[in-house]
Amino acid sequence: MAGVGNRVLAGTDRALDLLRELPRLSLSNIRSNPKAFKRNKRGRGQHGGKKHGAGNKGSGQRQNFMRLGYETGNNPFYLRVPKEPYYKGHHIRREYPPISLMQLQTLIDTGRLDTSKPIDLTALCNTKLFQLSPFENQYGFQLTDEGLDNFKGRINIEVQYAPEQVIAAIEKNGGVITTAFYDAPSLIAMRDPMKFFASGTPIPKRQMPPENAVEYYTDPKNRGYLADPDLVALERFKLAQKYGYELPDLKKDPELLPMMLERKDPRQIFFGLNPGWLVNLKDKKIFEPEDEQLLEYYRS
Amino acid sequence: MNQYENMAVSFSNFFCLRRLLISSTSCSRAYLSGFKSNLSLDKLYPTSRLDITTIPKAPESKDGKFSGYIPMDRIQVNYVRSGGPGGQNVNCVSTKTEVRFHLASADWIPEPIRVKLAERVKNQISKEGYFIVKSERTRSQQLNLADTLDKLRNLIHSVAQSLVVPEVSEETLERQRRLRERAARERLKEKRAHSMTKQGRQSPTLDS
Repeated sequence: MAGVGNRVLAGTDRALDLLRELPRLSLSNIRSNPKAFKRNKRGRGQHGGKKHGAGNKGSGQRQNFMRLGYETGNNPFYLRVPKEPYYKGHHIRREYPPISLMQLQTLIDTGRLDTSKPIDLTALCNTKLFQLSPFENQYGFQLTDEGLDNFKGRINIEVQYAPEQVIAAIEKNGGVITTAFYDAPSLIAMRDPMKFFASGTPIPKRQMPPENAVEYYTDPKNRGYLADPDLVALERFKLAQKYGYELPDLKKDPELLPMMLERKDPRQIFFGLNPGWLVNLKDKKIFEPEDEQLLEYYRS
Repeated sequence: MNQYENMAVSFSNFFCLRRLLISSTSCSRAYLSGFKSNLSLDKLYPTSRLDITTIPKAPESKDGKFSGYIPMDRIQVNYVRSGGPGGQNVNCVSTKTEVRFHLASADWIPEPIRVKLAERVKNQISKEGYFIVKSERTRSQQLNLADTLDKLRNLIHSVAQSLVVPEVSEETLERQRRLRERAARERLKEKRAHSMTKQGRQSPTLDS
């Protein structure tokens, strides 16, 4: 509009006119600089065609390659080391770090374990003398029979495995032993309860043992937590006869009896805390779910 | 109360939370009480009394049969040092287990078994009449005691078994008699045949 009449328009004026006339900038009316991006060249035509990167003659061009791992005749790497049957399933096998009866007696004598309360995995981990790593397939502790003859403690203990003579030693002194299973998430919660509570996760429900462990934990001979207590009583009597001691009557000590008989439910992880509860250590509060579905889930 | 509930709702959609105060002095209703899931023992074993403290009555050895029960108050257990190599450990630790009892007055063993046992182990009975069983099989006192009692129990049981006369039916006795006679017949038949063979090998004489 500048320059009325026959006067020739200047460069800027023409540019501004253009701007006014031309359509808006959009993806359809711009393009990149040449060689800004590489076009995907399929093996068709000009630069992807002809030999398609397969070279000249030979097995390569004829696509007749040797099998993967073949080393042109010499013993290939993947066959050099033979397979051994002894390690089959080693990565699935459950491990139980040992605690000897001698160690247990020492802990009781030095006061590191409170015998007036039931001893479970959490109590043993709280001594900070035993570490458990669920990530390395460790599923709990086993009791070994070192120090069998000198064990004198009267305890209510829950471990994951104990041989017959250890069970005998504990029951001979008027104690109670149970073997129980904990799955990996439960173990992670149990070995460091403070850290678990600080994470703000509700207490999970303990899972049932895997198929190959069900027989062990339902057997009264092993004092399994899923075994019938009446059959456990019979096995206690039989073991006393086998190992030559008079089976102590637990009912003779009424003050200690409730502690001795204290047991967790198969779905419970901590004594006195139910699955589904949320513990707030900072405010010293416990929250429990109200929703019927959730309650049903945690109870099932 | 409402403030906390709103806060809870804002955190998660469906998780309804209720505040429960922990008191250090009082026990809240759900605290320390038994949590019962659907897999609790009373649901797994509804007919069980769920009592591990019951001590069953010891089985009696009656009618001349040994029940297998050894009363621990009627026998004496001694621990002594074992023999063999082992250095300081074997010299100091008493792992050999000895179980002794007066055999004649052991009425927990039925009379006929006791008599036969006395005869069988007469070399292991002391002058005063005490029968002694020993074991130093393992390195542990308790395991050796178990082994000793195992030995004793097996001994009494084998003596009891030897006293048992099995009741044989008349048909079995009849069959056994027939079989014995048949065996004798067969044996004589073979013997005669063999005799003929041997005779046939001899050169004939004018008489035969």
